[in-house]
Amino acid sequence: MLFETIRLALRSVRRNALRSFLTLLGIVIGVAAVIAMITIGSGTTEKVKQDIAKLGSNLLTVYSLRPMRGGDTNFTPRALNERDMEGLLDGLGDVRAISATSQQTSRVVYGANNLAAQVTGADTDFFIARDWDVVSGRTFTESEVRGGGNVCLVGQTVRTTFFGDGDPADAAIRVGRMSCRIIGVLEPKGTSGFGQDQDNVVVMPISTFQRRIAGDRDIGQILIAVNDGVSTAEVTEEVKAILRQTRRIAPDQEDNFDVRDMTQVADAMTSTTTVMTGMLGALAGVSLLVGGIGIMNIMLVSVTERTREIGIRLAIGAHEKHILVQFLVEATVLSLLGGLIGIVLGLSLAGLATATLSIPFVPSMSVILLAVGFSGLIGMVFGFFPALRGARLDPIDALRHE
Amino acid sequence: MNMRADIPLLAFRDVWKTYGAGEAQVHALAGVDLSIRQGEFVAIMGPSGSGKSTSMNIIGCLDTPTRGVYDFLGVDAGALDRSRRAMLRNRYIGFVFQGYNLLPRTTAAENVELPLVYRGVAARERRALAMEALAQVGLEGRESHTPAELSGGQQQRVAIARAIVTRPTLLVADEPTGNLDTARTHEIMDLLTNLNVANGLTIVMVTHEADVAEYAERTISFLDGKIASDTARLEAA
Repeated sequence: MLFETIRLALRSVRRNALRSFLTLLGIVIGVAAVIAMITIGSGTTEKVKQDIAKLGSNLLTVYSLRPMRGGDTNFTPRALNERDMEGLLDGLGDVRAISATSQQTSRVVYGANNLAAQVTGADTDFFIARDWDVVSGRTFTESEVRGGGNVCLVGQTVRTTFFGDGDPADAAIRVGRMSCRIIGVLEPKGTSGFGQDQDNVVVMPISTFQRRIAGDRDIGQILIAVNDGVSTAEVTEEVKAILRQTRRIAPDQEDNFDVRDMTQVADAMTSTTTVMTGMLGALAGVSLLVGGIGIMNIMLVSVTERTREIGIRLAIGAHEKHILVQFLVEATVLSLLGGLIGIVLGLSLAGLATATLSIPFVPSMSVILLAVGFSGLIGMVFGFFPALRGARLDPIDALRHE
Repeated sequence: MNMRADIPLLAFRDVWKTYGAGEAQVHALAGVDLSIRQGEFVAIMGPSGSGKSTSMNIIGCLDTPTRGVYDFLGVDAGALDRSRRAMLRNRYIGFVFQGYNLLPRTTAAENVELPLVYRGVAARERRALAMEALAQVGLEGRESHTPAELSGGQQQRVAIARAIVTRPTLLVADEPTGNLDTARTHEIMDLLTNLNVANGLTIVMVTHEADVAEYAERTISFLDGKIASDTARLEAA
């Protein structure tokens, strides 16, 4: 009986093809909007997560604080140095990597070409902490880091600018006023979540950086990679305790350094995009509601138009519930059909948008099921009133209807 | 006359049908008593507003009396609710209308199957019964035509097939030949007469054409909500 009714409903949809299509359009647009918005939103969240993972997950960044202009600060500013680094190396328990790094933007020259690149002084642990490998060549040796060798690694942007597809191994580039020999090429990292080209880099031993680029013994940041499963918050506390000692901060003074926890940054950013996704989805949901009203409207027209048909059916023995189910099924079939087309359209739109924005395409099965379920529900809810109106018709009046 | 004719099929006992209230009250039926036995072929006549359509609607269980008892198959059908009356219609009554009332853009076979759909008969059996009914009204080979592809007489034959496919006890026909020319009228009336004689189908037919009423063995005339005359046809020879 139900199968029969569905067949009947499909036939009625087909017979009024244009009208059905226009009615469907409301649902199609609604479902497509919801799916596209949520898929693009989830893609954005995923992209942020990936970007932060690129910076290194479980990564703590220690940096010194500078007094804020006009601010009332209760600390003595002082850069990080060798002693802080040693204190952490001795005092911290089991961590994956501790790396002293410094950065400065410098002009890098090779032959007739030059570009402004991020020049980073680093040690061997830097590549572990940042989870950054070479695609060719090698990273530094311990002796190169200690001895301040004139060697460097370049990022993909630097490599393509200077060498195109060629092999830059052993080429000498000028960084600021020093010359260094390229020993390796770093794997591409892409653009960071903050919009910075992470491949426009030259990495050299920190001792070389301090002597030849910065001209002092300061350390810019200390990166600490925490082992998987270890709480970054706990390690942060340990780091703070050690640094207060090595930096001889009096108990009544505030920290003149800070520890940034990447997982916290990641959480903050993903929660922002998640809220955004939800809001976009809810807005798109409103259009689904409008689509539902379209269904109700057309079902009312359909019931009026087919009053005589309802009369015939009632006269030859259809029960109220048969008529009710017939129109309900028709409305549901109509909106489900719209839902299915909407899914295809929404996913296509999302696929196009994610490809254009170069963010991951992450279709969610639950969102798709929800959209189908919701469009079916809309058909039933908005189809119910017109269906009931049809079912309650008096057969004699309905038969007289012209 | 066969044996069946002695069994009462339906009866009106002091049936009133009243519309409106107070001053504007109109009695479509004003105390009607009548009885129709199984196997009878009855024509109901009368001018418009005489109450013939109202009594037909009550007989067909489409309507209920305001007062009085409508006894159908020993049941007080006037006191039944909508869905029980729908069931009575589906099980025991077939309808033929003046305007055929077939579903448009639906084949003859599908139209005939419709009452069986509401009975929950399986598709295969439905199709077989529909073909049988179409054959009975002389429409073999037309089962896949839609009403628009059939003449008026053929459409009315489809409607009759739809009415008899459930093997009803009673056929209610409302001006079945009202839209047809004389030749077609006689064809349809011969068909109905044959169903009455051969199958023992009880037929109650509303008409305002005297020559159509001639086919019936009994004619009841209404006037102002009351029965004016109730005459049996004199058998020729």
